[in-house]
Amino acid sequence: MLKVRIIPILTFNGFGLVKTKQFANPRMVGNPVQAAKVYNFRGVDELIFIDIFASEQKRKINLKLVADVIKECYMPVTIGGGIESLDDINNLLKIGADKVVIKTRALLDKQFINDAVTFYGSQCISIAVDAYLSSDGYKIFNKLNIDITVDKFIDGMIECNVGELVLNSVDNDGIMNGFEMDLISHVSKRTNLPIIVAGGGGDMTHYNRLFSETNTKSVGSASIFHFTKFTPLDIKNELKTIGIPVRIT
Amino acid sequence: MVAIIDYGMGNVASVQKALNFLSIKSVITYDHDVIRNSKSILLPGVGSFFQGMQNLRERNLIDLLKEQVIEKQKPFIGICLGMQLIMERGNEPEVCAGLGWIKGEVPKFELLNLNVPHMGWNNIEIKNDTYYKNCKTKDFYFIHSYHVVPENKEDIAATVEYGFDVVASLQKKNIFATQFHPEKSQSAGLAILKTFFEKNA
Repeated sequence: MLKVRIIPILTFNGFGLVKTKQFANPRMVGNPVQAAKVYNFRGVDELIFIDIFASEQKRKINLKLVADVIKECYMPVTIGGGIESLDDINNLLKIGADKVVIKTRALLDKQFINDAVTFYGSQCISIAVDAYLSSDGYKIFNKLNIDITVDKFIDGMIECNVGELVLNSVDNDGIMNGFEMDLISHVSKRTNLPIIVAGGGGDMTHYNRLFSETNTKSVGSASIFHFTKFTPLDIKNELKTIGIPVRIT
Repeated sequence: MVAIIDYGMGNVASVQKALNFLSIKSVITYDHDVIRNSKSILLPGVGSFFQGMQNLRERNLIDLLKEQVIEKQKPFIGICLGMQLIMERGNEPEVCAGLGWIKGEVPKFELLNLNVPHMGWNNIEIKNDTYYKNCKTKDFYFIHSYHVVPENKEDIAATVEYGFDVVASLQKKNIFATQFHPEKSQSAGLAILKTFFEKNA
């Protein structure tokens, strides 16, 4: 049986790991290579590493550092931040990334996503869906003044045959007060793609609710691992008590 | 020396990293002489079937691989797309001939209630344990939207449950292949590579 995936998300600012609250106020939380080493030792299911300021600051992700992170990982790794071309994707795959996660370019240029899928295959193109609740429903958070609903953005990405969505609640990001269940139910009804949900996990009851009340199969988390004693294994042990299939190494 | 075939289809670095970790000597190459002189051949790969065959063709590797693997019976391991390409036909994005070393084809998943791609850790059921003897756990990392359907069921080395019994691994004479990624499956995956190359490096 396919196991649910518990995925640490490491967000990077070009120098060190940071953790945001509602996509703002980044707080330094450590060294990426060291973090990757710890998560590999703990046998996590997968790891996501994103340079969250690369696109905004118009720079490329630091490939040397990404290579050092990936070197520590004997599990799948997804890399994101500032991806603008097929070469950018190839450079990441060449140093051992399994998937890339794209947002900014996906908002600007759907054809690029089509090309990326055609060339590298659906399975390695993940799309970040950073959603916030507006008075007109869920929209995509971005700093480009692009006004687009979550539904419209996701439908466009489904047409491009992408492999996976990383659904992040901007409102709940870093708040550690629980997941945005309405958003998650809404998006998972819309597509058959694997979805990694993120944003809001703070204690075990949040994960218990997420997996018992929605058909979530993967969760990405950061704050809970940075700021509490809980590890990915604690989440798995919690989910096991409600009959959710988990992988325990 | 293991020849890891470099044909422009993704993640060769991870495979070599795993072999380095196991102290197995390898080279990432499409050089015909290097491949001829290798002890065994590893065909990795992610991406589309059609593109994979085209890239092999552009590097004149189709006949060379056949000579080495089928005629000379050199030990061969295919991973993910590298397993799919050894079949007769693929369908990604359209019908396309494969290497044809094992009879059968590679259709897309048609699943009503399950996510496609099949992505994540899933436990396999072993049918032929030649290379699985030293695995302490049976969960492996899968990521694929197409799956292999061999004509001869005796070629199946392992299956995985995902809506039905999906082929997870093939074995026929000197040919071994996995749909999952042993190089991404932590200790169980490394155990397979170690067992395979201890016999065949």
